Amino acid sequence: MDFFADILLGFQTTFQPINLLYCFVGCLIGTLIGVLPGIGPTGAVSILLPVTFKMSPVTSIILLSGIYYGAMYGGSTTSILVNVPGEAASVVTCLDGYQMARQGRAGPALGIAAFGSYIAGTFSVIALMFLSYPLSKFALAFGPPEYTALIILGITILTYLAQKSMIKALMMAAFGFLLAYVGIDMLTGRARYTFGIPGLMDGVGILPIAMGLFGVTEVLENLAPPEKISVFKAKLGSLLPNRQDWKDSWKPITRGSLIGFLIGIIPGGNATLASFVSYATEKRCSRHPERFGHGAIEGVAGPESSNNSAFAGGLVPLFALGIPTSVATALLFAALMMHGVQPGPFLIPEHPDIFWGLVASMYLGNIMLLVINLPLIGMWVQVLRIPQQILLPLILFFCIVGAYAENNSFFDVGVMMLFGVLGYLMKKFDYEPAPLILAFVLGPILEKSMRQSLKLSGGDFGIFFSRPISVTLLGLASLVLLSNFFFKRQTGLVDEKV
Amino acid sequence: MKRLGSEVVGSLFWLAVGVFFAVGGIMLKPGTLRNPGPGLLPLIMSLLLISFSLFILARGLIGPEGVLKGIQWKGQAGVVASVFLYGLLLDLLGFLLSTFTLMFVLYGLLFEGKNRWPRVFFYAAATALAGWLVFSVALKVPFPKGQLMVVGR
Repeated sequence: MDFFADILLGFQTTFQPINLLYCFVGCLIGTLIGVLPGIGPTGAVSILLPVTFKMSPVTSIILLSGIYYGAMYGGSTTSILVNVPGEAASVVTCLDGYQMARQGRAGPALGIAAFGSYIAGTFSVIALMFLSYPLSKFALAFGPPEYTALIILGITILTYLAQKSMIKALMMAAFGFLLAYVGIDMLTGRARYTFGIPGLMDGVGILPIAMGLFGVTEVLENLAPPEKISVFKAKLGSLLPNRQDWKDSWKPITRGSLIGFLIGIIPGGNATLASFVSYATEKRCSRHPERFGHGAIEGVAGPESSNNSAFAGGLVPLFALGIPTSVATALLFAALMMHGVQPGPFLIPEHPDIFWGLVASMYLGNIMLLVINLPLIGMWVQVLRIPQQILLPLILFFCIVGAYAENNSFFDVGVMMLFGVLGYLMKKFDYEPAPLILAFVLGPILEKSMRQSLKLSGGDFGIFFSRPISVTLLGLASLVLLSNFFFKRQTGLVDEKV
Repeated sequence: MKRLGSEVVGSLFWLAVGVFFAVGGIMLKPGTLRNPGPGLLPLIMSLLLISFSLFILARGLIGPEGVLKGIQWKGQAGVVASVFLYGLLLDLLGFLLSTFTLMFVLYGLLFEGKNRWPRVFFYAAATALAGWLVFSVALKVPFPKGQLMVVGR
């Protein structure tokens, strides 16, 4: 009966007025961010992290998660109506969604995207609920060598999936790890790379780095006058898909939900990758693959479902193992740490309200999103007309205040601007920020577990190869690494930009 | 290979970063494998960064010639400079006035067309006022009061 008691606890937590309010606010901001091209969920979460300082951990995690899955709903609107992806996970939706809109079927395209997202979102929350708890028990068998191996595997897969060069992605991961080592060494108390600067004693904060790389960089990149966005003028018509649409879509939605969830679980997997894999799968499964790219509703239903369920999939390793495997979960990990909550196998038993509260809020959030997105679609179309000249200074202003408010010091604002400029140059030189952020968050865990492992084994690296779980994980990492050199990679899938 | 120039420049930058961290790692004492010190992981990671940078550098040098492209910097430099100016003004003028100045510069950089400056003024004033109400009054973020403002009072 524990299970039902836990679910009850989750709903009790979510139905507290403050949590309900922030769940709604998160979904609303998420949809807004999803609709607006330029800034994506990662940037929005980075900017809003400081706002959550004064909230309880459960409220802040409900708000931030709402932004992520809300953005998955909102992103489809821009893809379908403007042929510009609102965020990276909606890129493939442009292919068939915009074609449907041109054929006068924007309504059913938006409708199936929202319903598919709802079904996938609900499915994935249920799967998350059933998987996380048993997995966290399994994770108790993980010692330092296993954690070391898991982090190496996660980073290897993420860099393998990088949009451009894997070597460059590995460089960014190495740099992310190095940044994590700035500050006081936890094991010896020695200051590293601080040069006597007080602001660096606690290390470089995740906030200025994330806001710089995902917020300021976007502002700097979009400074040139944008092409005028033309919103599709045709009437939306009925938003409800007809019987034939449902007949065509139920299988893609089912497959998309499953694919998204599984891809979310694997280290390095994310919503963008899930949507691409789902699109490719649907095209392969279809009896009429030639219809894809010309307004096939399956090409909207599958990817839009999968990008939604990928988010919940990504929460599985975070809650079961305490290891974030994508940028999205890395930021949630950082949010929990800022509230003094240590993600890991003990999180669910020690803080059941956080896990079950989040699960329950995601059930409700998916219902809220259906209401926010479908009847209010007209409002979101209006949002698309806000010019970039007004948005960009506002985004920068939020970044500045957010970075300042963390420690009430302008030092962090300076660090943020530095990373903003670095991020801008990185984009121009084809270096991706995702591996950097993930490695930065995982850096301290990797260092601690690796040093502990070496101490345990008396300096023998064999410890990583003598334990079944760690040798399997390292074997997988080597396979991924080697396959990069022997097979042509499927590139272009992972840039979690915004 | 069109982006050759950028490959060389980029890899040299990361090579320098790698060397910087590697030297730091050695100075921090990597320790031994039996008893790893605070410099071990930084040294391993910086050696990885150095080797990957050398790989990209070699690839960039061997391939045909190319050019750097598409880096605009004028507007970007203006934005970055205005933020640092904001940092200086914040202590002097306090939140409201310095935010107005920052937003005036930012909107001024981006707005075009007729009635540009009245619009810039309006949006800058509105943003500064809304920002002050939200962050300073409602959320009570402790911004500096502004030395000049205190003297003036």
